[in-house]
Amino acid sequence: MAITTTLANLPEALLLQASGRLDGATSPELEKALLPLLADAGSRVLLDLAALDYVSSAGLRIILMAAKRAKQAGGRFVLCGLQPQVSEVFEMSGFTRILELAPTVADGRALLAG
Amino acid sequence: MTTSNGSVLEYRLSAELTAIAGLAEAVTAFLAAWPHLAMQVNLCLDELLTNTITHGLKGEPGHEIRVGLALAGGWLEIAITDDAPAFDPFAEVPEPDLEAELDARTPGGLGVHFVRSLMDDYRVVREGGHNRVLLRKQLPDGAPAPH
Repeated sequence: MAITTTLANLPEALLLQASGRLDGATSPELEKALLPLLADAGSRVLLDLAALDYVSSAGLRIILMAAKRAKQAGGRFVLCGLQPQVSEVFEMSGFTRILELAPTVADGRALLAG
Repeated sequence: MTTSNGSVLEYRLSAELTAIAGLAEAVTAFLAAWPHLAMQVNLCLDELLTNTITHGLKGEPGHEIRVGLALAGGWLEIAITDDAPAFDPFAEVPEPDLEAELDARTPGGLGVHFVRSLMDDYRVVREGGHNRVLLRKQLPDGAPAPH
């Protein structure tokens, strides 16, 4: 199982949807798809993980890089749609406290529009 | 290569990151009665194997890792055997600072933290030039016995 990413333009943000398995073998693909979106000052990115079945610390490393990059560039980085087993890994890592999370894409858009 | 008789799973994989997803499928099937436990076990195996493959073996080809799972007396017992240089992640990898703010957070140590958090017992022994990582986890209450 691999990872697939799809990019769309929303009025509030760029929406990147990731599906499949995010681990040491596939995290370079997310890194390539996600980090350039946060390169410009003030970039707004919504990462939808509703179809992501699995994440390991290798995937969390990319998420952390993205959040730091957004903060440094004065942008916003919001994640949404975490499945329970993915949410559990975020919680064990203390990431739910330092990241902006929303239940659904609609909630994430509302957060970014505000 | 996989053998499974319901209470024991023996799995051999080449030491490559892309081989871990296949192991995860075999573990999910072996622990089908406990999907949440299967996810936790797969996370621990993935983290430990990824460390061994990328750091211990430095991606060198031609190595094999053996993973054994056994159900016995209400416990799941796991053994991971590799031929990387001697390494004990539980002794050598510090706990991450989970309270740090975003700017100060680093991703290091999270994988070993997951194993410490999710398993009831974890240790490494060195045997005949191999690391043997031994993990134990109590099965959930009311667990059906393996057939």
